[in-house]
Amino acid sequence: MAQKAIEIKGLNYSYPDGTKALSNVSLDVFGEESLGIIGPNGAGKSTLLLHLNGILRGNSYIKIFGMEVKDENLPQIRSKVGLVFQDPENQLFMPTVFDDVAFGPINMGLSKDEVKASVSEALKKVDMPDFTKRMSYHLSFGEKKRISIATVLSMKPKILVLDEPSSNLDPKHRRELINFLKELKLTKVIATHDLELVLETCSRVIVLDKGRLIAMGNTLDIFRDRPLLEAHNLEVPYSLSSIQ
Amino acid sequence: MKHAYIDRYSDMDSLIHRLDPRVKVISFFIFILFVLFTRPTSFRAFALYGVLIAILVLLSKIDLEFILKRSLVIIPFVLAVAIFIPFFKKGEIAGGYSFGTLKLTVTYDGLTIFWNCFVKAYLSILCMILLMASTKFSDLIKAFERLKLPRLITMILSFMYRYIFVVQDELMKMRQAKEARSVGGSSWFHARALANMIGNLFIKSYERAESVYFSMCSRGFNGKARTIDDFQLKGLDLFFFLAMIVLLTSIRLIGN
Repeated sequence: MAQKAIEIKGLNYSYPDGTKALSNVSLDVFGEESLGIIGPNGAGKSTLLLHLNGILRGNSYIKIFGMEVKDENLPQIRSKVGLVFQDPENQLFMPTVFDDVAFGPINMGLSKDEVKASVSEALKKVDMPDFTKRMSYHLSFGEKKRISIATVLSMKPKILVLDEPSSNLDPKHRRELINFLKELKLTKVIATHDLELVLETCSRVIVLDKGRLIAMGNTLDIFRDRPLLEAHNLEVPYSLSSIQ
Repeated sequence: MKHAYIDRYSDMDSLIHRLDPRVKVISFFIFILFVLFTRPTSFRAFALYGVLIAILVLLSKIDLEFILKRSLVIIPFVLAVAIFIPFFKKGEIAGGYSFGTLKLTVTYDGLTIFWNCFVKAYLSILCMILLMASTKFSDLIKAFERLKLPRLITMILSFMYRYIFVVQDELMKMRQAKEARSVGGSSWFHARALANMIGNLFIKSYERAESVYFSMCSRGFNGKARTIDDFQLKGLDLFFFLAMIVLLTSIRLIGN
């Protein structure tokens, strides 16, 4: 078995008002693996993602490449785990694209030349090398989504964590995103309602509902299990439904 | 939604645009100081300052109409502050009006003060408009940062610039949703709906702020939003700065 990229044991988390968001979630993600997280609205997908780089700290034990998520490790953890939020308006908070993509590398203490190099490399990866001087606000939604990914790629993360990467994208941009994710050689964790995207990009899937881990397995095995999916507000992807 | 750029002329290319933002900020600040410390009666000096700023505006190639229109915003403020001074200042009377037993007089001293307020405010605002219009807002913030303005203030400015349109869009969308369902109803009812919308906007902004903070932390934020220092002083910048100082000093000497 490959090295464990993420190791979670018995994760519990409640919101400040006492609502239980995650209960007893245990999960291993292996290096260079792509894991899809699916489940109905309010299942706890985003909450789980926020634990992966220590933004939220539930009552549990989480390790990233063998390193425990705790205060003194946070800077290293956060440069290893690149978390892309669902709403690009929240991900892009600096006035210009360059400053935004450079934000992570600067915080990592890289030198000026290294920062510039990693920014242009990240922008090249998302195929937007000429956007450095642009104002984030005046980009189209598809462009914002891509720049969002570049803002974490510039930190050269080992794990890419995406929250609803394809939401609100038009089919062309969604296709480009899927192809991009397929080519990217990183450990990926993708939380989404876009089951077709999971089918194409993820080898393994977990189903979350009401904060509990319901099922875990190969993408195809889970996606062919109609009773399981329908019990949790999901459905068999259209591309698979005709096979059965 | 597309909004007008606050700094929509900042993408142009001209001598003024090419200057280092730091040099611009300092030179223009010194210009304002010179204007402020001019005697109210040295009309010649004011005229020359006017000529100087006019030359700078021409050099910047920015639309004159835009600058003149923008400069009008200062007038209500000047009027609000200074309109009553000519009537209350004691001194030689320039004219008077009688309304029955009520007598209103205007003094020369009062008029001078009013003129002084007006011309200084107007020259300063022209200068500020030129600075804002010829500099990218993000560069302006960076310039302030390099000039040691407290980081907290520059960060607030930067977030304001980034999110003001986002908030405006949200308000617009809420309004459209309300309009779509507004069929009649009393104006009191609509006022209440507006109040709810504003409250909603506050909560949304608060939640957004939290999410932005999370996303900053995810990328290693530790209390300081830093940008790369890539300003470089060129010969042109030093020349501009020295020319400004020389011109301002000579205007002051001529004016006195």
